[in-house]
Amino acid sequence: MTAAQCAKYVAFARISATQARRERSELYGRMVFFAVILGVFSSLWRAVAEAGMPVAADPRSLVWYLAATEWILLSAPPIHIEIQEAIRRGDVVYRLGHPASFVLAEFATGFGVLVVRAPILGLTACLCAFAFTGWMPPLTALLIVVPFGFVASTLIMALCLGIGLLAFWLQDVAPVYWVWQKLMFVLGGLMLPLALYPAFIQQAAVFTPFPSLLAAPASFVLGTSLVTPGALIRSLILWSGVTAFAVGWMFRRAIARVTINGG
Amino acid sequence: MPPTAAAVELKQLSKSFRVGRPRGTGVGARLRDLFSRDIQTVAAVDKLSFSIAPGERVAFIGPNGAGKSTTLKMLAGILQPDAGDVRVLGLVPSRQRRQLAFQIGTVFGQRSQLWYQLPPRDTFELLGRVYEIEPRAHRRRIDTLSSVFELGTLVNTPVRHLSLGERMRCEIVASLLHSPRMLFLDEPTIGLDVSAKAMIRELLWTESERDRVTLLLTSHDTGDMERVCSRAIVINHGRLLWDGPISALRRTYLKAKRVTLWSEAERLELMLPGVRVLSSGSYRTELEIALEITPLGQVVDAALRQAAIRDMAIEDAPLDEVIRALYAASPPEGVSS
Repeated sequence: MTAAQCAKYVAFARISATQARRERSELYGRMVFFAVILGVFSSLWRAVAEAGMPVAADPRSLVWYLAATEWILLSAPPIHIEIQEAIRRGDVVYRLGHPASFVLAEFATGFGVLVVRAPILGLTACLCAFAFTGWMPPLTALLIVVPFGFVASTLIMALCLGIGLLAFWLQDVAPVYWVWQKLMFVLGGLMLPLALYPAFIQQAAVFTPFPSLLAAPASFVLGTSLVTPGALIRSLILWSGVTAFAVGWMFRRAIARVTINGG
Repeated sequence: MPPTAAAVELKQLSKSFRVGRPRGTGVGARLRDLFSRDIQTVAAVDKLSFSIAPGERVAFIGPNGAGKSTTLKMLAGILQPDAGDVRVLGLVPSRQRRQLAFQIGTVFGQRSQLWYQLPPRDTFELLGRVYEIEPRAHRRRIDTLSSVFELGTLVNTPVRHLSLGERMRCEIVASLLHSPRMLFLDEPTIGLDVSAKAMIRELLWTESERDRVTLLLTSHDTGDMERVCSRAIVINHGRLLWDGPISALRRTYLKAKRVTLWSEAERLELMLPGVRVLSSGSYRTELEIALEITPLGQVVDAALRQAAIRDMAIEDAPLDEVIRALYAASPPEGVSS
């Protein structure tokens, strides 16, 4: 890819970041949601600990774990909705007509939103988790979570792109997204570390990208990480490759679909 | 491409779509539809051939579902034809889409490429990168087009605050930023008020005339066609019905004139063959005269025999009616299972 071609996608990311900065209401909504979730769960874990129920980890670190998984999830923009709307409105004809890759342009557009959201939501996560627990994990753990979480968020967004491409076939991709999201909540260990799940769920999760997206990056705050950083890097590279291949294949099929069924 | 070559050349271009249709309204039919659809093949474009010279302004006309947008999308390389040849500016759109994208512009009246929350200038700058335009030249181009299209402060106003007419001017500027040699316009004046339409038509004509941009314009508004274009291509059911100058379209298909007479008598009784009285009363009579049956002079003579004529206006029937007559004469759509 030449410098001029790269500049196109940087420009898509930049304009999208500019727009994301203007659309503050959605960001504020996510921040409030984040604070409420962490508030509720910190109370829950405190109650569980006070009741003497067995928890495999410190309730304070569980709040930080949830802060990390939610940060990863909420930072990823739901670009499948934007793609679906562009297909429905027909604006996709402009995007397909540009001398740029549709998939890379959509990815860059989503990435622009991600780079605006991730730092603000990350700060919100840290402040809320600290306010509710009065405790902080070691700084080294947080420094590991941040880059892995950012990459995981990017990968979640890329998977949303794939779901968005389904709009070339389906009228509404929301049901697919909901199923995918619920699987990610369970198999990714959104609320609880995977180690607290029944064995069969843990075994099933291994064959999916979800643990690498949520549980593994967030588990560094627990002190007992799910995988080593090296293993997580390998896993993220593997799933990034699989996602890139799948999205590219789907787009080629989608274009063929446009050819068959019209725009 | 040599300067004499056609800007657009279509030879026997065809495109079909497979469409799932419900089998019926009964319970059995609906149950069967759940498992397998009744797929039919609809010919959207059927052996369409025409060519457009560089700098020409052509109206591409047809009723809804005639195949206009499908043809435009094939010309832009977004859809692949099933059969036939298509060349735009010497390139094959489906195979050389990106190369072609640098040389063509598209305006879809009901779609937008402007970023809704941001001022148009942001989209213009993005498009400069997308079309790989040298930044200084791009800024000059933005300034030139902003001045021609009288954008003024609009370039710095968020798109969500613009009226439809203002937005459409910005959409056209966005499509012209990379100095395309060919512009495809799909209903560019849809939903606009009379003055916004007039402005867009004038600007399109001027821009095409100045930079010799070839225009292919689809519209249901005959005003767009008459003010901007000199030639019309009419299609229906994907087939070519007419290709020639708009004036010739009128001459060929216009078998009637609209005549309005202001007379000394309150109403005129003109019972002549080929003459239809559209309205009569208040010293004003409106007629439609089939000239092949009764010459105009004969009608005027008959009117003068009844009363003195104070004034008279002779008009062609609206282009809308000419086109409606053309559609009515076209053979029905081809559908195969």
